[in-house]
Amino acid sequence: MAGERTRQAQQRNRRNGSRFPGTASPPAGSSGEHEELAVGRRGFLKAAGFGLMLAGCRQAPLEKAIPFLIPPEEIVPGRSLYYASTCTACPAACGLLAKTRDGRPIKLEGNPAHPLSRGALCALGQASILGLYDKWRPRNPRHQGQDTSWEQIDAQIMERLEGLRRGGGALRLLTGTLNSPALEAVVKRFLAGFPDARRISYDPVSRSAILDAHLQTHGKRVLPRYRFDRAEVILSFDADFLGTWISPVEHTAGYREARSPDVETPRRCYHVQVESRLSLTGSKADRRIVAAPHEHGPLAVQLAAALADLAGESFPGEVQRNEGLAQRVEPLARMLWRARRRSLVVSGSPDPAFQTACNYLNELLGNYGRTLELGPASRQREGDDGALAGLLEELGRGEVGALLVWGVDPVFELPLEGRWETLLEQVPLMISLDDRLTETCGLADYFCPDHHYLESWGDREPVEGVLSLLQPCIEPLGRTRPLIESLSAWMGDSRPAYELLREHWRSALFPRQRQETSFDAFWDRALHDGVAQIEPESRSFSEARFEPRMFGDGSREVSPAEGEFSLVLYPKVGILDGRHADNPWLQELPDPISKATWGNYACLAPLAAEAIGVREGDLIRLGAVAGQGPELELPVLVQPGQHERVVAVALGYGGKATRRFAGIGPRWLEAGETVGNDGRVGVNSAPFIRLQARHLVYSGVPVRLSPTGERRQLARTQLYDAITVPASLALPGGERRPAVKEVTWEELFDPHLPVEPGTHSEHGSSQDLWPDDHPYTGRRWAMTIDLDACTGCSACVIACQVENNIPVVGRDEVRRQREMHWLRIDRYYWGQGENLRVAHQPMPCQHCQNAPCETVCPVLATVHSAEGLNQQVYNRCVGTRYCANNCPYKVRRFNWFDYAHEDELENLVLNPDVTVRSRGVMEKCSFCVQRIQEAKIEAKRRGVELRDGEIQSACQQTCPASAIVFGNINDAGSRVAQLAQSARHYRVLEELNVKPAVAYLKLVSRPDPQEEGHG
Amino acid sequence: MKSSIATYTLLVALVFSLLALGQRARGFRLPGDQQGYEPVQPIAFSHRLHAGDLEIDCHYCHSGAERSRHAGIPATGTCMNCHRFVTASWGAVREENRRAQREERPPRRLLSPEIAKLYGHLGLDPNGEMGPGSQASPLSWIRIHSLPDFAYFDHRAHSVAGLGCPTCHGPVETMERVRQQESLSMGWCVNCHRQTRTGIQGAPVEASLDCSTCHY
Repeated sequence: MAGERTRQAQQRNRRNGSRFPGTASPPAGSSGEHEELAVGRRGFLKAAGFGLMLAGCRQAPLEKAIPFLIPPEEIVPGRSLYYASTCTACPAACGLLAKTRDGRPIKLEGNPAHPLSRGALCALGQASILGLYDKWRPRNPRHQGQDTSWEQIDAQIMERLEGLRRGGGALRLLTGTLNSPALEAVVKRFLAGFPDARRISYDPVSRSAILDAHLQTHGKRVLPRYRFDRAEVILSFDADFLGTWISPVEHTAGYREARSPDVETPRRCYHVQVESRLSLTGSKADRRIVAAPHEHGPLAVQLAAALADLAGESFPGEVQRNEGLAQRVEPLARMLWRARRRSLVVSGSPDPAFQTACNYLNELLGNYGRTLELGPASRQREGDDGALAGLLEELGRGEVGALLVWGVDPVFELPLEGRWETLLEQVPLMISLDDRLTETCGLADYFCPDHHYLESWGDREPVEGVLSLLQPCIEPLGRTRPLIESLSAWMGDSRPAYELLREHWRSALFPRQRQETSFDAFWDRALHDGVAQIEPESRSFSEARFEPRMFGDGSREVSPAEGEFSLVLYPKVGILDGRHADNPWLQELPDPISKATWGNYACLAPLAAEAIGVREGDLIRLGAVAGQGPELELPVLVQPGQHERVVAVALGYGGKATRRFAGIGPRWLEAGETVGNDGRVGVNSAPFIRLQARHLVYSGVPVRLSPTGERRQLARTQLYDAITVPASLALPGGERRPAVKEVTWEELFDPHLPVEPGTHSEHGSSQDLWPDDHPYTGRRWAMTIDLDACTGCSACVIACQVENNIPVVGRDEVRRQREMHWLRIDRYYWGQGENLRVAHQPMPCQHCQNAPCETVCPVLATVHSAEGLNQQVYNRCVGTRYCANNCPYKVRRFNWFDYAHEDELENLVLNPDVTVRSRGVMEKCSFCVQRIQEAKIEAKRRGVELRDGEIQSACQQTCPASAIVFGNINDAGSRVAQLAQSARHYRVLEELNVKPAVAYLKLVSRPDPQEEGHG
Repeated sequence: MKSSIATYTLLVALVFSLLALGQRARGFRLPGDQQGYEPVQPIAFSHRLHAGDLEIDCHYCHSGAERSRHAGIPATGTCMNCHRFVTASWGAVREENRRAQREERPPRRLLSPEIAKLYGHLGLDPNGEMGPGSQASPLSWIRIHSLPDFAYFDHRAHSVAGLGCPTCHGPVETMERVRQQESLSMGWCVNCHRQTRTGIQGAPVEASLDCSTCHY
């Protein structure tokens, strides 16, 4: 209520100062009607002027204060409540705490008690809250496209299912990864009621090959749990484990742990990435090996053979001796061998033969049970491409009597030359159970919409024995029903999800735990913590065995002929398979590497672009070599660090759901469209996915590129890529800009090579223009960002957007460099070819002590606080934009328009503690001052001291790598004060002497451990 | 001659309009200034009776003041803590009791018209029972103390610092109908923040003058 009021009032306020559109008028003031005279222009102006004066005397409109009738016990208006739940935006199932205000979730935070995600969330998880308030989300069950009621739809479906039970064909339930124990139990019961029923699952970005390879080599179809935290050498073949692969948040936390220089015994894990395009993971690698997709297989096989030699075993597969390759892998093999039991080989390949080679490598190196575990194993992906191929065959033969679909959208994700559409139309009974309108839903007879996950009870088991609980944080907004209830309702069991869940936990899971003696205590604890640990089901594995046939014939990938390119389809951070492509925050999130927003593009290496004579923004046609097959038209993006014979295109774009973005962004004379000519954002590249030998194949298709001669400018947020100054402009010695600094591991730990701690720069001056009359005797807020830890995953950008009510501006405005993100991540390149290095530098407002913005503001709308904050006062700002022009870090954002807040439902996600800015106002990072104020006042109320770490900015809270530290630098014991003493500590543009409160920790370069003869 | 009549007429008109303007200027206020605002509320709730005569603590109803940013309007159910039993004025109840004794019948349960509105909103019949088909409906009070949305005021900080409610709300216990006592303008806030630097009731306080104390 109170928050509600704030919101409504905010809207009113935003529509510009129209504080006086009188709905009713309390005392004072009177009407100016008698001024109305039939007069000319001058008279009218006089009357208008007088009328305005009178308007000034009137009072604000009537405001209501509506209290609860009977207050819920725990709700105090104005105070936030946190509920532990689980993110289901992808199957990684990270733990979260949903911050609710007056009964509605407004922000998701990571759950620190969760053993996998350890208090962090990714960009997707942060953004998933917007899906709850999506006005396009289905509200009612539908039959043949018409809204209907659950009673009617249940009666009809049950009747048709009854027919099936009596022998009317097979029933198939097609799902994505479904790692929910309670739901699985209900699904099992449901399917058991039919003579021929089965569940088939697939993942749009398939990891099936890993499981299939383990079925061959270890006798169990299982996905290992990868322990990057235990690794000392990581070799990754195209697995983007920090960005999109299996469980990025968990992997990032582990990766950081293995590479942390700041702990008592510093750990230097060495990371080698073999890839054909520049991925997020590749950007952090110590060594990148750029290889086209068809070269990965032979490389892995050669490596396996070399390692087998070192181990004194004979490699079971076929090896074609290749001296060049052998020489290349030799040092790698030695490095891995030295780090055996502490190394890890991973691969993103969808080819089981390739994964078998990886298993062989890990087995040879003794990594099983150490850096990758088969028990307890991961359950974060379970998709089975073979079963999917089987289903397609069954559908083709017309054997399927009923198909139920949940959690996947095959028509969009895997068009397979339109096969799904024709096949699904022939299925007698098709029921879609998704929580959104997918393209597959359009073909379904019945649509039984699921809740959004923030409305549901449920559970997840991301790793065997780790249970993560979901609880509803809001009343369902529509007449939707969770899958678990739908299935039980069709079995004649009308219990709600809560009871079904508890029942399963009581009977099946409670006996497997040891901490609590009563079920209620166990349940309450799990509900409070969000997670519970139980004894994992015992699984037995056979001894690893490898046979020559498992390794295939080297590689299935074909090398592209002269003049052709090898197509690589990749999932992009934030968009993945396109399931959340309807989320405007994620569409406007700059890709961590290319910094492009709103749509996909064809990435080409600089040399390749030169060869076919295209530059960024040129539209090219991308077609299969055979002439038959899909064809795409995409703008070019020139991507350093990519293989010359590869063209890389992101998946997940061009769905029907993106049609909603027509008209997003401010409408003005020169406004450009966000959507393309077909009304969609980007182009769907999925038609190039093939089902080959019962496996989904995403890359390696040879394609031909032909320029169309047209252009479509990309909306990129960063147009300066290199950290080096061009040779023609550089002064001697000034070729490299010092914004990103680097230190080698040796320098860091060699006592003979002292790196000056703290703040020193080449050009720094101790002369100060300003008197030293601001002593900052109390608290002083500061932030340190560890560039070595930062992976560029962009979770912080979205977290900041949610926390601070940052609007979405649309493609055209981003193209004009008018995006509103308070926190941007600068990405810089240096080096060439395989030695290309990448740095990600998060750049919030630097809160300078001698802030250049403050001295130029004519109305004192930006001033310094006694605690060192650079404050921006919206109600004082008149929008001269002098401050933005004078900011050396370019972190200020101007409201060129009143950005859209017309969607009443979407507005429910607005943070009531942060003003919604109106047009003509400057804004920027505030160090989450609303959190600082809240924590300070709360500490005062409790009569306790504010502890270090109690205030976490939104970006810091969600960071999977814990790269951001915020605190009071005047408190010598605080982490931020300790980090200020680090040898890696420096400030950006220090020579300007603006004294930023944000400091960075230098990147650490880790030379090849071989070269220095360790081991 | 004609022109002098016109001049006099104009002069008189000018004097009258100046007088009229003067009248108006006294009532002039800045936009958003609602000092003295005293709207009629949907239920004629008397703070004089509850906070003054009965000396009910402010925090009994406005319980958020110490725990939250908002002091809060009490939930309608909170009123029922007392008004389940107190249904009419003491005088009326006594009169009814006397009359019942005289007529040798059990006294009727009285419900004053204002309390009847309360029962109505909660969907209760005069006996305090949920009748069949009765519908509860929220009670919309008219908000008096309202700050602009770019200003964040926190009750907690002020009540913890030892400021009593009357500092900002005035002698509410004397008001039959609540009136906004102070202007609640920024100048008024800041003046107080400046003055209390020396302490509140002898206790040192730290009233910040930073913009971001209230604006973010």
